[in-house]
Amino acid sequence: MTSRERVLKLFAGEKVDRLPCFSGMGNVTTEGLKKYGYKFAALHSNAKMMSDAAASTYRLFGFECGVVPFDLCVEAEALGCEINVYAHLEDILYPTIKKKLIHNEDEMDIVIPSDIANRGRVPLMKETIGVIKADIGNEVAIGTYVLGPFTLAGQIMELNDLLKLSFKKPDKVSKLLNTLADVIILVAKEYEKAGADYITVREMGATSDVLSPRVFKNLILPHLKKIFAELNVDSVLHICGKTNDIAAFMLESGAKAISVDQKNDIAETRKKIGKDALLFGNYDPYNILVAGTTEKVRETIRKCIDEGVSAVWPGCDIWPTVPPDNIKAMMDEVKNYRR
Amino acid sequence: MVTEEKRQEILGKLKNAVIQYDEDTAKETSKEALEIGVNANDAIFNGLVSGMEEVGRLFEAQEYFVPELLMCADALYAGLDILKPHVKQLDLGVKGSVVIGTVEGDVHDIGKNIVKMMFDVAGFTVYDLGRDVPLDKFVEEQLRTDSDLVCLSAMMTTTMVGMKKVIDNLKAKNPNVKIMIGGAPVSQDIAEKWGADGYAKDANNALKDAINMISSLKKLKEEAEAKKNS
Ligand code: B12
Repeated sequence: MTSRERVLKLFAGEKVDRLPCFSGMGNVTTEGLKKYGYKFAALHSNAKMMSDAAASTYRLFGFECGVVPFDLCVEAEALGCEINVYAHLEDILYPTIKKKLIHNEDEMDIVIPSDIANRGRVPLMKETIGVIKADIGNEVAIGTYVLGPFTLAGQIMELNDLLKLSFKKPDKVSKLLNTLADVIILVAKEYEKAGADYITVREMGATSDVLSPRVFKNLILPHLKKIFAELNVDSVLHICGKTNDIAAFMLESGAKAISVDQKNDIAETRKKIGKDALLFGNYDPYNILVAGTTEKVRETIRKCIDEGVSAVWPGCDIWPTVPPDNIKAMMDEVKNYRR
Repeated sequence: MVTEEKRQEILGKLKNAVIQYDEDTAKETSKEALEIGVNANDAIFNGLVSGMEEVGRLFEAQEYFVPELLMCADALYAGLDILKPHVKQLDLGVKGSVVIGTVEGDVHDIGKNIVKMMFDVAGFTVYDLGRDVPLDKFVEEQLRTDSDLVCLSAMMTTTMVGMKKVIDNLKAKNPNVKIMIGGAPVSQDIAEKWGADGYAKDANNALKDAINMISSLKKLKEEAEAKKNS
């Protein structure tokens, strides 16, 4: 079974020979950057470089996917935000929004630009998905991601304001989320056309570290449902941080699979959502994969599998400085360990 | 003089206004307090701030989440705006000023804002540099404001390393300044290794440590001055 078959069969609910080890979020490594002599800051605006870097984690370590992009700014940029890629710095810094689109409550009635599919880096993303698909698409599944509507709202307006308005004026926030859900659907459809095999919706802004499960259910879930109803390819809903109390709602969104991080009690979640639901997770991409020993990595991977994940998958983006021995230990453990 | 019963009623109303994030009631009750002669200091600390302490407890117990916390803070600020001008001297044992911000490359500022709120509540003068703050800016702002304390927040392991640079620069320019660091990836170990004076895992502890640090700083200053004069 190839990695590609394994992942696609898993999504289809068919039998697989073993759990796949992949992700729906960024997984570029400094080893990969070294292989090509690329600077992190340069990847975000060049299809060939982004694709090479993303494919390198498969090439070097057999990680079972190719995922682009690496930042969370694509949709916000298409809507008119300015971003910072920190080109002037040598360190690996992730792009951020420099200028927001909405500055106060009165500006929340936004209109979707009619040419959204051709704005910002959306065309670049389509090109990149094509490039990586042609490169390694026969061997592994090609993934990409979009933001969830609440997290996207937090990118285009001040998060503090958004959080407070979620209480004070939920109708106003809901209207914005509804519009943003349309934006996300439009962008995701472009990615589908470009050849993405699966799409992850990253809604980390709605983690229970920040927002109550009740608000998640009432204000955010309806818009997530709308998005997943429109997606044709395989889909994942990812939320990091505390998720125990919202895991069942996450599944209710209509996503084919849900993805959680190390703060989730997998055994408990598995009990709640039943044995067939697809649950991806949940090793700590920094404290275990980067900072842990190889033995600690192996132990953690076994624990994920024992507790009942459907795929071994990180809690967030793989942190680039991961030591090669650790990622090799992870791949080896997934291949050889049996529950 | 107001009766004890009336005083308790006002304090209770202020406290509840904060807990129930009711800005209007916080404002009206603060005005009422002043009109009938409740001491402003009393109203702040035994009313508003005591409400905020309860909010902190509700947050820890996960009955309140970040939006509630932010709204409670707004109610508190609304009351403070009215009461503060009538306070003779806000005496917490220490009066401190603090520069705070999230380091360059990092936009995670929810935690930082909560820590900032605690300092506001306790009567510190706070210079908030925001998020994604260029490292040199911390040093400049400390020198400009002569603040006692600099607080650095980072939520990512990559941006966290920027803190070390800030600590080194600050200590080189001004050995007396106290530095406290925090954020999910930060630990006591890291704080010690990098030469920060303090670390706290959450906002409540941050405030306690800050008060201790500033008290000891003030003591040192007094001792030094006493020596000079003798
Ligand atoms: C919300 C969130 C976001 C939001 C941030 C919005 C905002 N304005 O803050 C958005 C969506 C924008 C975001 C973006 C990204 N994120 Co993010 N995000 C989170 C999330 C889910 C919650 C963080 C949070 O606010 N917690 C709640 C607050 C209340 O807690 P806190 O911050 O820890 O603060 C408390 C204490 O730490 C302490 N404290 C905080 N500061 C200070 C300072 C001092 C001086 C002291 C004493 C104490 C103190 O007191 C606070 C109150 O008690 C976390 C996961 C998690 N659950 O932690 C990931 C997380 C922080 N993000 C992560 C990542 C990887 C990213 C991105 C790089 C993703 C990407 N591919 O682009 C980008 C970063 C872009 C950038 N360059 O900054 C990773 C970081 C991993 C690592 N190794 O460092 C995390 C840990 C997720 C994970 N599971 O791996 N994210």
